[in-house]
Amino acid sequence: MCCNNLRVKKCCFFIVPFQSLAFCLGKELNIHTLDDSEVAGICATSEVIRYEYHVLYSSSYEVPVLYFRACFLDGRPLTLDEIWEGVHECYRARLLEGPWDTITQQEHPLLGQPFFVLHPCRTNEFMAPVLANSQRENRNMNYITSWLSIVGPVVGLNLPLSYAKLVSEQNTKTD
Amino acid sequence: MRAAGVRAEEVPVLASFPPFLPWEVRPLVGVSDWGWGTSSRCVGCGRDEDETGVPIGRMTDDKDVLRDVWFGRIPTCFTLYQDEITEREAEPYYLLLPRISYLTLVTDKVKKHFQKVMRQEDVTEIWFEYEGTPLKWHFPIGLLFDLHASNTALPWNITVHFKNFPEKDLLHCPSKDVIEAHFMACVKEADALKHKSQVINEMQKKDHKQLWMGLQNDKFDQFWAINRKLMEYPPEDSGFRYIPFRIYQVTTERPFIQKLFRPVAANGQLNTLGDLLKEVCPAAITPEDGEKKNQVMVHGIEPMLETPVQWLSEHMSYPDNFLHISIIPQPTD
Repeated sequence: MCCNNLRVKKCCFFIVPFQSLAFCLGKELNIHTLDDSEVAGICATSEVIRYEYHVLYSSSYEVPVLYFRACFLDGRPLTLDEIWEGVHECYRARLLEGPWDTITQQEHPLLGQPFFVLHPCRTNEFMAPVLANSQRENRNMNYITSWLSIVGPVVGLNLPLSYAKLVSEQNTKTD
Repeated sequence: MRAAGVRAEEVPVLASFPPFLPWEVRPLVGVSDWGWGTSSRCVGCGRDEDETGVPIGRMTDDKDVLRDVWFGRIPTCFTLYQDEITEREAEPYYLLLPRISYLTLVTDKVKKHFQKVMRQEDVTEIWFEYEGTPLKWHFPIGLLFDLHASNTALPWNITVHFKNFPEKDLLHCPSKDVIEAHFMACVKEADALKHKSQVINEMQKKDHKQLWMGLQNDKFDQFWAINRKLMEYPPEDSGFRYIPFRIYQVTTERPFIQKLFRPVAANGQLNTLGDLLKEVCPAAITPEDGEKKNQVMVHGIEPMLETPVQWLSEHMSYPDNFLHISIIPQPTD
């Protein structure tokens, strides 16, 4: 799965080795990577940043967690400071009140490599009203799409509207 | 109060937990009379407590375990990597490392020592390596030693690097804030498993800070005054919701195994360390007629496989509230 969100000289590759909301730690990862020619085809400026996103299920918090890493095209990984520079200013001030509760570098629990993580400890808190609302209106809701549309934009992952449309189309069909 | 589901006569008495001696950090290996004692759970039973709130009296044996775990030290020799450029010869630096702490939290003196012989522009982020393996600072020191250096001669020889930071292997550690964030994230995750985050969320910011400061400044009483709350559970239960644990093996690609595991089985029996291994890592267990191939190690000792995981979780977790269990090949003599 791949999308390229060109946002001020930045490319986002959306790579989700996602295992359903079942318990996933321990299953095989299936990671798609794009080769350099594809990268060059998308954006040829010198400030291209390659983002790689993974959605993993945390059995401890019982929620999905967004892991990501980013590097320049020469392979140099972005530092935490550089990641914060890329956070849209409409989020930055609020999130920097508690930077360590928001984004930290952590070990990817399956790959064992350094990734950045959006902390999952409040996910239930902000997803509960969304879930309650969809239940009240008796609507199907794709939890992942809704969740990702909330957390993704913080770190440059803007989910195309087509994801949500797909869910509502499915709703219409089942109605 | 006895642990539920175990009759008194079956309880191996924790006679005396052999101390961690400064220059002999692994005296516990193979000590056969060491085992889990009576439960120190005191929720609602009104037993005497000392100034930290940790129960005393008949249960001092179990408290000794907490102290011995806390004060475990590993004698270590730090040597500068041969390819680092120095202005004069770099002498090795010796230090007793606290098992429960983190490498980057306790090595300011090591960094200063080697900085003295280096040019300022060559001093960048410090990282550590043992026999070719970069050492993850976000693992507690005791875990790193058990996993990579058990059954080797002391002191532990760690190589110090400043150049060529291994981006693929290690997390950056630019400040103590990063260690604190990592530590608190682990404590929070452990409480999510144990109490659905209820205990940690009910605490105040200053309590969180006290946990961290207790670890950072090596203050046992300061730390346990708060941490004991994280070790409680409702009197009607026989333990936590789930046991926060991670099992490490050097032979696998995955950094660790972590799964949901309850301290009490469906039939009401307490789950033991053996039960845990059987469920999540069966390869580690020695078959009844087979030769022992692995050691199952926590804090430098091999706890009996009959030990209830609830007792282990309360007494042998690291300050991050996780049980970090290493499975290492049995040494061949």
